[in-house]
Amino acid sequence: MRKTLIPWATLLVAVAVVSVAATSYYLGSTTKGRLIVSTTTSLYDTGLLDTIEIDFETRYPIDLNFISVGTGIAIQHAQRGDADVILVHSPTDELKFLTDGTGVNRKIIAYNFFTLVGPETDPAQIRNTPTLEALARIVEAGRNGTVKWVSRGDNSGTHSKEKSLWTAAGFDPKNLTKESWYINVGSGMAETLKKADYFSAYTLADTGTYLKYSKEGAITLRSLIEQEMDLLNVYSAIAVNQTLHPSVNFQGAMTFVKYLTSDEGQQVIEQFGKEEFGQTLFYSAVRLLKGNTNPTIAQWIREYAYFDDTECPTQYRKGYAELYG
Amino acid sequence: MAAEIVEGLLKALQLIFSGDPTVVEVTARSVLISGSATTLSVLWGLPIAAAISLRKFPGRFVVKGIFNSLLGVPTVALGLLLYLVFSKSGALGFMRLLYTPSVMIIGQAALITPIVVSFIANAIESVDPEIKDLAKTLGASEIEASVAVMKESLNGIALAIAASFNRAIAELGVALMIGGNIAGVTSVLTTVIALETNREPTPELPIAWTIILLIIVFAVNITINFIRRRKT
Amino acid sequence: MKPLVILQSVSKTYRDITALDKVNLEILEGEVLSLLGPNGSGKTTLLKIMAGIEKPTSGEMRFKDASVNEINTAQLRLKTTMVFQKTTLFSANVYQNIAYGLKIRGLSKMETRGKVKEVLTKVRLEGYEKRQAKKLSGGEQQRVALARALVLEPELLLLDEPTANIDPKNVSIIEDALAWVNKQERTTLVIATHNMFQAETLANRAALLLEGRIAKVGTPQDILSLPPKLLANYARLENIFSGISRVNEGGTSTIDVGQGQRIEAAFQKDGNISVHIRPEDIILSIQPIVSSARNTFVGRITEIFDLGSSVKLKINAGKDFTAQITKRSFNEMGLNLNSKVFIAFKASAIQTI
Repeated sequence: MRKTLIPWATLLVAVAVVSVAATSYYLGSTTKGRLIVSTTTSLYDTGLLDTIEIDFETRYPIDLNFISVGTGIAIQHAQRGDADVILVHSPTDELKFLTDGTGVNRKIIAYNFFTLVGPETDPAQIRNTPTLEALARIVEAGRNGTVKWVSRGDNSGTHSKEKSLWTAAGFDPKNLTKESWYINVGSGMAETLKKADYFSAYTLADTGTYLKYSKEGAITLRSLIEQEMDLLNVYSAIAVNQTLHPSVNFQGAMTFVKYLTSDEGQQVIEQFGKEEFGQTLFYSAVRLLKGNTNPTIAQWIREYAYFDDTECPTQYRKGYAELYG
Repeated sequence: MAAEIVEGLLKALQLIFSGDPTVVEVTARSVLISGSATTLSVLWGLPIAAAISLRKFPGRFVVKGIFNSLLGVPTVALGLLLYLVFSKSGALGFMRLLYTPSVMIIGQAALITPIVVSFIANAIESVDPEIKDLAKTLGASEIEASVAVMKESLNGIALAIAASFNRAIAELGVALMIGGNIAGVTSVLTTVIALETNREPTPELPIAWTIILLIIVFAVNITINFIRRRKT
Repeated sequence: MKPLVILQSVSKTYRDITALDKVNLEILEGEVLSLLGPNGSGKTTLLKIMAGIEKPTSGEMRFKDASVNEINTAQLRLKTTMVFQKTTLFSANVYQNIAYGLKIRGLSKMETRGKVKEVLTKVRLEGYEKRQAKKLSGGEQQRVALARALVLEPELLLLDEPTANIDPKNVSIIEDALAWVNKQERTTLVIATHNMFQAETLANRAALLLEGRIAKVGTPQDILSLPPKLLANYARLENIFSGISRVNEGGTSTIDVGQGQRIEAAFQKDGNISVHIRPEDIILSIQPIVSSARNTFVGRITEIFDLGSSVKLKINAGKDFTAQITKRSFNEMGLNLNSKVFIAFKASAIQTI
């Protein structure tokens, strides 16, 4: 017994250790050639990123890994060095990201519009009203008990937009949260739409996610206000500063950013959803800004999403001058 | 609701029998990751459990108490803690393990170790105390006698393995926070269910995935029960 | 006979309980020693110390004239084996249970198989190898436990109440096996028992343990001659009567045992007395007995106990008497419950306790 016990035990342990190691290796624990992109749920949930991933990976030997978390958390990840590049849509947060020194080489890659959605019956009567006035009506109706509002409440780009709109309309979003008609769901876009649908409430949504869900008949909310300057939604890509986090895949990040702003990349973005939803979900921004092809919108973008008259002030650029020609 | 579940069931069957590559890939990854995590936990948990149950030492009850309380740690809390540790700015960031299957194995192993230790320690302690003396009077050394005791608790050890594998494969918090649900790399059944529920307008796909997860869990448990039955 | 084990001033304390208090005892090679004593007197502890699975708190134990210490305890355990009071079996089949000790000692599979087969015949469990040990009946389980110890051919075999709570048929199988291993294999036996009959028939010596101390060592009969209060606690004696004795002319005494019944004993004693008669000393007849026996009574059989080759009978003949006869006689006489029988026993069969 003594003789056979120890060899058996060692064999068992060895087999266990080897199998775990082999499994790890087989599943792929290497991080070479991978690019971690932290992004917003609105980009992820629409399926745009899947399309981009397929196209990008045929052209470049880089393994794209998207992590969908929402703008606020994406930025946090990047600040800890856990992402190589972020795709977000909140200019105020993006500016801080640059001034913090965490981000470099910001490029605006696409835009679309948020939309105010609500029940078909529209009790607050906001259909086709200017955004800020509509919001005021919603507050009044809410206080009267006739309508509800659902907020994402998750520090996402959409949530930031919502807060800035409330402020522009003369309300303090922090106080509004306490009122009974204001429902804070702390969820991603899709989840928020489902909940708004459930409560027959009004909410702010990005067009992409909204279209996807209303097309599938999952929600009965209607898009009541569209395409106003106040509802402009601008998507940017920012690389993480290698000086601050030496281990990030800066080269890969820049390859990706260059791809997104290239003709091919912009084409992919613009084409997405045309077939399925009959309209573009994400408008390409690069040529618009460069060549001023739609002066009104280009101007809106510059007012809303530029810092010091540029996408990326020079002190936050690192090489790749060709991007900002 | 019943209609949606039935549709989900049909969808699940369709996915399974069509050999849908994503389903195969995600399922295989879930089983491999949780299986490895269980193997690791038993590897270091069994000696710990044996140590705290076979010998009396001062502070024994405190140690046991700690493991028992860790049984109920919320997975998101552990996931967050591990994220902070393995994040590039964290203590183990230099290992570059974040968002890899390997770190998920480690994370799940950490999660289920208290289960393994508590269950096995319990099983060993439920063994007739006279067995050790019996082995000794039949000529066994201290170690051989301890082995005899542990052999008597094999039933309980099998239960520990089943319980910990279940917890590992069915948990979400750790897998999501340190795995990231990256398609093709770290997506497992639970993370897919969670995020697909957010993405998909209708619930039939998430329900299908859930049914697949349940099938795996049932299959593993029935197998282990079968083995346990034969052992007694 | 040389001493196999010498216990010198052995004491054992647990926390504040003294289980053994300066025990001095010798176990002689080849003997069968009965360890008698009430529950809690320390019998089990004493056996465990001799088995090497408990250490004395103080005192010395010598095995074959070598002092037992930390280092050679492991070797001691290979030469002595104990069978516990509560049948303890491994969760395995009969073969695996019995083979355990042989495996520890590194015996080959072939040798083991042979030895297991052989020992199973000694306990009359031939062919039981594959059966699940824990699923056997109580008596069969204890026989497996015994076989497991016997197969190791120990020099010293310690048994803690080996036949307590076992049905009579299994008891006789076990006792036969013990008798065999002592006579044929010259194994030294120490048996802790409550059963005086067993102590008498199996053992040639007995030691009485009371509250952790050796009260007396001697032959079983020596122990029986101790004051009745002591014996009543642990000795399951049958046919115990108390009464007032009066000396007769002719050297005998008549004892009034109550309810108008008198028995004549072959000793001379006056006053209060307790006596006992061995069941085998009572003669049974279906016809009135005319013999030299001084004590004859008539009664009816109230209980029958089948002990395999012998039968124990409880007879109400005024007082209750317990008699033991062979199975053959029982069958030949055609006895049954409520049968009318005549009993007789000699005056010399009455023993004082």
